[in-house]
Amino acid sequence: MSLAEVMHSIQSVGFLTDLRESALVYPVVMSTHLSCIAVFGGMILMTDMRLLGLALKKYTVSEVVSALRPWKRVGGTIMITMGLLLGSSEADKYYINPFFWWKLTLLTLIGVHALIFRPLVYNHPEKIDESPQIPARAKWAAILSLVLWFGVLTMGRLIGYYEPKS
Amino acid sequence: MLAYDPASNPLNNNEWSFPLLEILHIAGFTLSIGTIAVVDLRLLGLGLLRHSAKELLRATAPWTLVGLVVMLTTGPAIFSSDPVMYLRNFSFKFKMVALLAAILYNYTIHRKVALAEGPSGGAAVLVGAVSLALWISVVFGGLFIAFV
Repeated sequence: MSLAEVMHSIQSVGFLTDLRESALVYPVVMSTHLSCIAVFGGMILMTDMRLLGLALKKYTVSEVVSALRPWKRVGGTIMITMGLLLGSSEADKYYINPFFWWKLTLLTLIGVHALIFRPLVYNHPEKIDESPQIPARAKWAAILSLVLWFGVLTMGRLIGYYEPKS
Repeated sequence: MLAYDPASNPLNNNEWSFPLLEILHIAGFTLSIGTIAVVDLRLLGLGLLRHSAKELLRATAPWTLVGLVVMLTTGPAIFSSDPVMYLRNFSFKFKMVALLAAILYNYTIHRKVALAEGPSGGAAVLVGAVSLALWISVVFGGLFIAFV
């Protein structure tokens, strides 16, 4: 079975076909995906800007990280669920779309970022509160996070513009 | 009336400029809505409880404004690519009404309640929930332009 056939059988699953063909449900799922980006992506931005010392300076890094973390998880879960629905319902189109693969690559790098910087930064924010200056590792974590997420946003939007050469 | 030909708009003569504007538009509203949502969560009593909504609003307001400026610069530029289509589009009209309501609400009722010392539970919850609902309806309206 070729990859094309696998993709086609994924998007042929009953409810995914219904989703793709629905004039209402499909844009609602997409809007929910985008709303999550607005609400919870904004929280990622605020966390990063706090780590850079640019915003929310009245709050300690610990406060910002721990208060926003549960909400980012809720938002991330909804966002990923909606994204999986969108991608799998049009698997035929997505797997040949280079922007989709770029987006997945960047998301993988965000996973790597978490593996590296959770032990160094996010799991011990109180250490950053204690130090007189924000340590370089925390600033790097924030800058890379901003770049990677902006990349994900960019690739996500460009997916919709790709036209395969026929 | 002066005739406007969208074909003369640089946006329609460069394959990258339109998607780039959209990406900046999304980044802009992510910043503004995300910062407003932080205040909303506080009003709803769901997060950052150690500090008042007043302090949170003061801390986030400049960033909300930066986001709004980016969003309100890129938005009209996107609109200029095909004004006739947008003006005829039901979702676009809905979005404009929701956006106007959301901005007015944000700088009047939302601001007043967030700045009030110890806003009462019920009222604060209502104000936070309406804020989230308004901004999410703006996002929905924007996305539906391409579908309705």
